[in-house]
Amino acid sequence: MDLLLNDEQVLLRDAAAKLGASRGGSRRARALRDAGTEIDAAAWAEIIKAGWLSALVCEKDDGLGLGMFDLALALEETGKQIVMAPLVEVAAAIWAVTTATGAGHPARARIESKIVVPATSLPGQRYDNATGVILDPKSSALSGSVSFVPFGASADLFLVDATAGRETVLCLVPLHAAGLGISTTPNVDGSTSSTLTFSRLTVAGDEIIARSDAAAAAVMAIQEILVLGTAVELLGVAQAVLDMTIGYTKLREQFGKLIGSFQALQHRMVDCYVDAELNRSLLYKVLSAWDEDRSHPAMVSAVKARVGKGALKTVRAALQLHGAIGYTDEHDIGIYYKRAVALAAKYGNEITHVGRFSDLTLPAQRAAE
Amino acid sequence: MQWDNTTLFSDDNPADRAFREEVRAWIAANYPKELCDRPLRIDPPELKPWHRKLYERGWIAPHWPKSAGGMGATLTQQIILFEEMSRVGAPTPYPHGLSFIGPLIIEAGTPEQKAEHLPGILTGDVTWCQGYSEPGSGSDLASLSTSAVLDGDSFVVNGHKVWTTNGHFADWMFALVRTDREAKPRHAGITMLLIDLKSSGITVRPIQTIRGDSEFAEEFFVDVRVPKENMLGSLNGGWQVANKLLGSERFTTGHPRNAAVLLNKARRVAEYSGAARDPAFLHRLALLEIDLLAFSAFYRHAASLHANGKAPASMAPVIKIAGGELGQQASELLVDAAGPLGGSAADIMIGNVAFNPAADLFEMRRVTVGSGTVEIQRNIIAKRVLNLPS
Repeated sequence: MDLLLNDEQVLLRDAAAKLGASRGGSRRARALRDAGTEIDAAAWAEIIKAGWLSALVCEKDDGLGLGMFDLALALEETGKQIVMAPLVEVAAAIWAVTTATGAGHPARARIESKIVVPATSLPGQRYDNATGVILDPKSSALSGSVSFVPFGASADLFLVDATAGRETVLCLVPLHAAGLGISTTPNVDGSTSSTLTFSRLTVAGDEIIARSDAAAAAVMAIQEILVLGTAVELLGVAQAVLDMTIGYTKLREQFGKLIGSFQALQHRMVDCYVDAELNRSLLYKVLSAWDEDRSHPAMVSAVKARVGKGALKTVRAALQLHGAIGYTDEHDIGIYYKRAVALAAKYGNEITHVGRFSDLTLPAQRAAE
Repeated sequence: MQWDNTTLFSDDNPADRAFREEVRAWIAANYPKELCDRPLRIDPPELKPWHRKLYERGWIAPHWPKSAGGMGATLTQQIILFEEMSRVGAPTPYPHGLSFIGPLIIEAGTPEQKAEHLPGILTGDVTWCQGYSEPGSGSDLASLSTSAVLDGDSFVVNGHKVWTTNGHFADWMFALVRTDREAKPRHAGITMLLIDLKSSGITVRPIQTIRGDSEFAEEFFVDVRVPKENMLGSLNGGWQVANKLLGSERFTTGHPRNAAVLLNKARRVAEYSGAARDPAFLHRLALLEIDLLAFSAFYRHAASLHANGKAPASMAPVIKIAGGELGQQASELLVDAAGPLGGSAADIMIGNVAFNPAADLFEMRRVTVGSGTVEIQRNIIAKRVLNLPS
């Protein structure tokens, strides 16, 4: 559906589509997975060149001064082509560091041209058996652990939130810091998930980016950017898979007819289409509201829950409608299926976010219990 | 921040917000409290005083051009009026005159037809019904067979119309009739007639619905004479006339408000029954609230595209499918919220408000069937939007 974009937004989307077409695609994604590489170096170089990593940073700090709505135009296109790169993560981290520090702060120079990945989590996030991270104010040392950090095998720096007494602290931890342990497991799509363990890791004063309320607000915003950005990629995956499936049913013949003429199959594709239309509207309305600081936190969870569910429904239908060929590793549908599974699980799956939505919208009922 | 599912993604600009304030204040002072939040259907005669009040305020036909006696309002203003009426539980006027035939007469009527019919639609003095479906022609409407044969200055109409909402209250019917049996395609042999239901030869019989009220009726036509001047549009051009109705009219009938009202009822009833303490209930409620949020976003986005003349072909069928099915699911949750009272035929009184979950459940069966089933809407998307082969 048309988004009523201005000329600059159309240019941005087209540039991302071009990057996806030349530096993405299921063949590259499969090769990267087989090689155990989670970032596509060529695509990453082009993303850096395009300047999208500073998309959210305001212009006075040398950013592009765009919002999540604009960044999403690029992310949906790279999502469609499974471009394997930490675009959302690094954009969130650069925004957080730049927003929290003044001009000339050494942290700004330290993250320049680096892969800096948030290792933050929302309070009360489910399924996390890690202990969380504590900063001892006396020794200025970090202890504890944080799980489900993406790109842990490739990052140069991590942006970590810790508790120091009652206050939240946001700090930068370089990959080679003494006392940092990283344990990484692969995901089905070739991406990875790491647990970071901190053993009395000393943090220098200028590695602390924010404290207290400012730090807590930054952690929340980072998390919302990650959740929303991942949802946009999922929408791209769903759209790409639906387009592939519609195309396939217009070519494949059985019983002497194109299978796309069968009503049972048509209605299944229409349901995926209706879902994608609603989800695109939902995403872009919420992103606009988020950019103007008038979104309700529950909306962010609604987006991830619904777009993730829609993407999984679409890849399931796509595999079914492709028949046996869709079950092969050789066919693209499988790669997209795995991408959808990995992204839907990342930063909270449907159950997690529906629960969070419920908690945030029904405080009266909960309090009455 | 309080969650309010009735104003999701509403008014973007100050003019719209000011209009909403104005409407809200007027409605607070004037709305018909006795007609609000009634569990059963309100028949057209009871609605007439409220219709008249809206007419006198100048807000009865926001979507009509000023030259025809309307407001010439933007689509957003139309939506605001509808939302503010629904917000206090006030009924909205039936759409058959104001939203269905009125705009068609404005678009395709003769000066005489406009002068004769538009004033009565605006004041609410004349009640209209739509004569499309027949016993043998439901989803396959183009197969309709009620015939009209030209004989001198009038058509002679014979046949049988059915599922006519308000047919037993209506003064006039706009009907699609067959004027050419040999036409190919079949819809090229259909004409639109405006029929005075007091004409001789018409028998009207109310039909009781699954909900227990008489929402619709059937009409039998035996040698009914309809003056030639009552043809709307050209001979055999009725299908094109009927199809002009695919734009903004869809917006009020498909408004997400319907589902929001049902979910809010479910919440009230669940607090009363204890279901609100059940995590399984809360999870289902949250899923539907999320669906409502997505549908509201689509609806608002589609409205702004429509206002920019960029509405895609899929807009009306998507509103129909997504909004209809969401409303149904909300009504199912409402019944479950009532627990063992879900099967009650009697009203459930909570404070002084009456709830009847089963009646809402049955009523919502209509929304995926009437004016084109959701299966037909899916066929339309498959063919016209996804370009799938036939």
